[in-house]
Amino acid sequence: MNRDTRWKAIYAVVALCLAVSTANAATTLRYATVGEPPSLDQHVVTSDLATTIAHHMFEGLYTFNAANAPVPLLAASDSMSDDGKVITITLRDDVTFHNGQAMTSADVIASLQRWGEFGSRGGLLFGNVSGIEATGDHEITINLSEPFGPWKNLLAFINGGPAIYPASIMEGATKEPLKPEDYIGTGPYQFTEWQPNRHVELSRFDAYASPEGEADGYAGERKAEFDSLKFFPVPDVGTRVAGLQAGDYDYAESIPGDLYASLDADSNVSTILNGGPIFGLVFMNSKEGPLKENFALRRAIQTAIDKTPALQVAIGPEGLWKANGSFLPEGNVWFNDSGVDNFSRGDAEAAKAMAAEAGYTGDPIKFMVSTNYPFHYDSAIVYTKQLAQAGFNVDLQVYDWATLIEKRAQPDQWDLFFTHHGFVPDPILISVMNDNYPGWWTTEEKAALKAKFTASSDPAERQAIWGEIQALIYEQVPTMKTGDVYTYNIASPELQGLGDATLIWPHFWNVSK
Amino acid sequence: MKLLTFVKEALEGRKLATAGAIWLLIIVVAGIAAPLIAPFDPLEIDPIARLSEPGTPYLFGTDHFGRDTFSRAVYGARMALIIGIGSVMVALLCGGLVGMLSGYFTGLGHVLMRMVDVLMAFPALLLALVLMTVLERSVFNTILVIGIVYATTTARILFGMMLKLKNEVFIDAARCSGAGHLSLLFRHILPNLLSPILVQATFIFAFAQLQAAALDFLGLGLPPEVPSWGNMLAEERIYITRAPWLLIFPGVLIILSVFSMNLLGDALRDRIDPRFKDDIAGV
Amino acid sequence: MIAYTFKRLLTLVPTLLAASVLVFLFIHLIPGDPAAILLGDTATPEEILALTRELGLDRPLWQQYVLWFKNVLSGDLGRSLFFDTPVLQVIADGAETSILLALLTMFWIVILGIPIGIVSASYKGTWIDQVTSGFAMLFASIPTFWLGLYLILIFSVGLGWLPSSGFPSVSDEGGWTNMRYLILPSLTLAAPNAALIIRLVRSSMLDVSREDHVRTARSKGLHPARVAIKHVFRNALIAVAAAFGFTFAALISEAVVTETVFSLPGIGRLVVQSILRRDYPVIQGVILIIVVLYMFVNLLVDLAYAWLDPRVSLS
Repeated sequence: MNRDTRWKAIYAVVALCLAVSTANAATTLRYATVGEPPSLDQHVVTSDLATTIAHHMFEGLYTFNAANAPVPLLAASDSMSDDGKVITITLRDDVTFHNGQAMTSADVIASLQRWGEFGSRGGLLFGNVSGIEATGDHEITINLSEPFGPWKNLLAFINGGPAIYPASIMEGATKEPLKPEDYIGTGPYQFTEWQPNRHVELSRFDAYASPEGEADGYAGERKAEFDSLKFFPVPDVGTRVAGLQAGDYDYAESIPGDLYASLDADSNVSTILNGGPIFGLVFMNSKEGPLKENFALRRAIQTAIDKTPALQVAIGPEGLWKANGSFLPEGNVWFNDSGVDNFSRGDAEAAKAMAAEAGYTGDPIKFMVSTNYPFHYDSAIVYTKQLAQAGFNVDLQVYDWATLIEKRAQPDQWDLFFTHHGFVPDPILISVMNDNYPGWWTTEEKAALKAKFTASSDPAERQAIWGEIQALIYEQVPTMKTGDVYTYNIASPELQGLGDATLIWPHFWNVSK
Repeated sequence: MKLLTFVKEALEGRKLATAGAIWLLIIVVAGIAAPLIAPFDPLEIDPIARLSEPGTPYLFGTDHFGRDTFSRAVYGARMALIIGIGSVMVALLCGGLVGMLSGYFTGLGHVLMRMVDVLMAFPALLLALVLMTVLERSVFNTILVIGIVYATTTARILFGMMLKLKNEVFIDAARCSGAGHLSLLFRHILPNLLSPILVQATFIFAFAQLQAAALDFLGLGLPPEVPSWGNMLAEERIYITRAPWLLIFPGVLIILSVFSMNLLGDALRDRIDPRFKDDIAGV
Repeated sequence: MIAYTFKRLLTLVPTLLAASVLVFLFIHLIPGDPAAILLGDTATPEEILALTRELGLDRPLWQQYVLWFKNVLSGDLGRSLFFDTPVLQVIADGAETSILLALLTMFWIVILGIPIGIVSASYKGTWIDQVTSGFAMLFASIPTFWLGLYLILIFSVGLGWLPSSGFPSVSDEGGWTNMRYLILPSLTLAAPNAALIIRLVRSSMLDVSREDHVRTARSKGLHPARVAIKHVFRNALIAVAAAFGFTFAALISEAVVTETVFSLPGIGRLVVQSILRRDYPVIQGVILIIVVLYMFVNLLVDLAYAWLDPRVSLS
């Protein structure tokens, strides 16, 4: 090639690249995530990040509408026997998998079975399932050993939940997450590629059959407006913000509260509040150490803490946090005020007296917290100060998240640890209800109330029982709620159709640029 | 005393380096007298006063805990001294000794220097990261790790200097007059190496500040509750536009201190025995 | 020359072996039971025992080493616990970014460092020399992450000239224009390293300029800058070549911070993320590869040095 033609060739390539990239930029959504998801297999992974990506390609039988009520997605309708023990679900007959096969009851049965046996939250439902079978090409029947109230919520909660995969993929699947080549679902987007540390890419599924009805929360019509969705891991929050402001991303998640005012005022950025708050939890060790079975001492600790200054320091602007003692937020059907008088007393003197009465003699209390979540660390610093004022000898141990996870599984390593909980539509999904969750709260009182709670399917009765459980939590203090945190994400103002608030995970069907 | 004259001579006519030395003196005083200078407890939290702008009573403003940035910066100076001096001591004690002994006892040196070569094959920050993964985050471990990283360089440098010195006439003379190994090493050779070692220590001190800040930034250095300049930057970095003073003050303090140390090192280097000049690893 | 190369390669073998022992020991230095740590908090004792066997952790240490070393020689560095893919592949995915970033950084260092070094040496002792040397030293004193944060703020957010973060592969859409993603990170990395090269160029030029043929040229009345470029530079280059070995290695290591700030999918960030995820096989693999690379780069530099400058003794 002589010099001239070589330059021409280079110009042509550059021009082509520019053309391709601008043509593409219009129909690709670029999302800056907090990191790399562990896997996108919804059955076994409970990471919110994984669900944010995966719920565009995997769907369950039910999903939630804007009021957080479960409504059919891949299901068409359902009926329940009078004794509440037999559930019959009719499936939609127009659903196609990304591999071109039509969805039938065989796929649904295989998926539910794998989830029931190996899934993160499958045991909750399948502990009460005595049998599950296909009763038609598009009909399944679930037999329960006892009536089980939260079944539909559990089927609708896709995070660690029962996504429907093809039966062929489910063959031999265990608790090992599925490999990316097996990511075949029914959603409006299908899996394209995963370049580690670079991006996960989904592309529009042209044969997608949308559920009917007006869009309402995750329910109703789903239209894939973008050609592709790209999720970039950008762990540094400053870089996520800068990247969105610079126009390198269209959407960025998990932004610190203190930046809210300035970002909200920035005309190049729109802010989207999450509708369901997350909340911090300080778990207490019920298995070993000074707090074991010493409920009075736990109440003393609870009494010493004033949650408000911690929220001010950790989150910042009022409006992004609420010192709310109810486990589910105001406006939610599960909201109630049982026990919340003890939520945030911050009374050092009373705490001192209570601790003395409980036989506390200044033994060190090991409090584990991670720096990976700044709001955990910030809150823990404030609590440690308050506890010290009430005479507690707190040994604050700061770890990175991986180490904390590893240590909290060992009962002899800790007395308190800080974590947080995502918004859930049914209190049964809150980690403290799980007997095996570190902290290991397994008192008789809990077991009795929990049995009553799951057996009932009457909403009013269940709400009342939940109130009793919440009161018990404030009495036995297996965990301390630290208050509600309304997280928010930021987006390019060019995005249309995002709505004012995110339900649980952001979704990008019915969204365009 | 001899070293002090050496420093004084080196700074003659070098205005920038002199300014650097004065700045370092200020840092040393601030670090030692931190409790007297700092108007507030560097760990005291005040949610009401959080993110206050610089002014009174918060000279450098406050961070998102409402802690006084000026007080934290003053205590940060103390931490900078601890990290710097600690790392230099570890590097000189381990590396210096290995280097000197290796240069003196050639047989032993062959083995020891091979071991140094192996450690040198690990890039500095990577070695520090890996060691910090295995160890826990603490002030002591951070000093130890940074010290070890620079011990290898120090060993190699002193080894080279030793080789140049040990066949000098005055050493032979001392040897002939019956001086033992210990006396030769520490009474006759070491005094001649003091000024190059001081120069090297200056550069290690400067590098250690940057390494420690990088480790803090990656969340693998000092425990987060320790008020150090690196932690101040790492912890408050999201406030770069919301509360710019939180990044500017500690950042400028690190830069000025490292810059001063480098200037000082550069000035000192020009005054040492020209044979050793090229051995020094520095900016 | 061939004999010298061969000899140098031979001396590399024991160093490599010793380094490999250190890298191997890494997983064994982690406090606690590696198998339990690798499996996480949901593992049963049976699973832990099975993995202990699978990893061969129940055998004597030396046998484990031999086994591991055999696998490494056959290119098997184990599997990433997080990605569940071979470690080698995970590293290969990050290599493109790291290598391109290092090359672009070298480019800046050369085009900024060498001319400034020459100017500085040509005007030795004048204010020009002082200002350039001073600035070089100032840039070497800035923490890289601090500089990176401000570069993003100014050039991406403020001026909108360059992308803030990420790096799409040059084999993806965009092709080589994607290199613009690496401009800010490479400048961030070049800033502290350029100072070293500037000083090296400057001091080696001053050394060379004391030599006879240069003095002759100058006495003939040639302009100092011309003398510098023509006679001195070629010789000075030799010394600079040596410095590149160190710089290159430093780039790989320092890139850890830069890649984190700019969210680049390189090997440096891979190390940090793997540490946070406790993905020990990846950490181990990355260290091994970087150490081997580092040694070979240093060897190449030494050889190039010996080849360029016949005065270097080959003994």
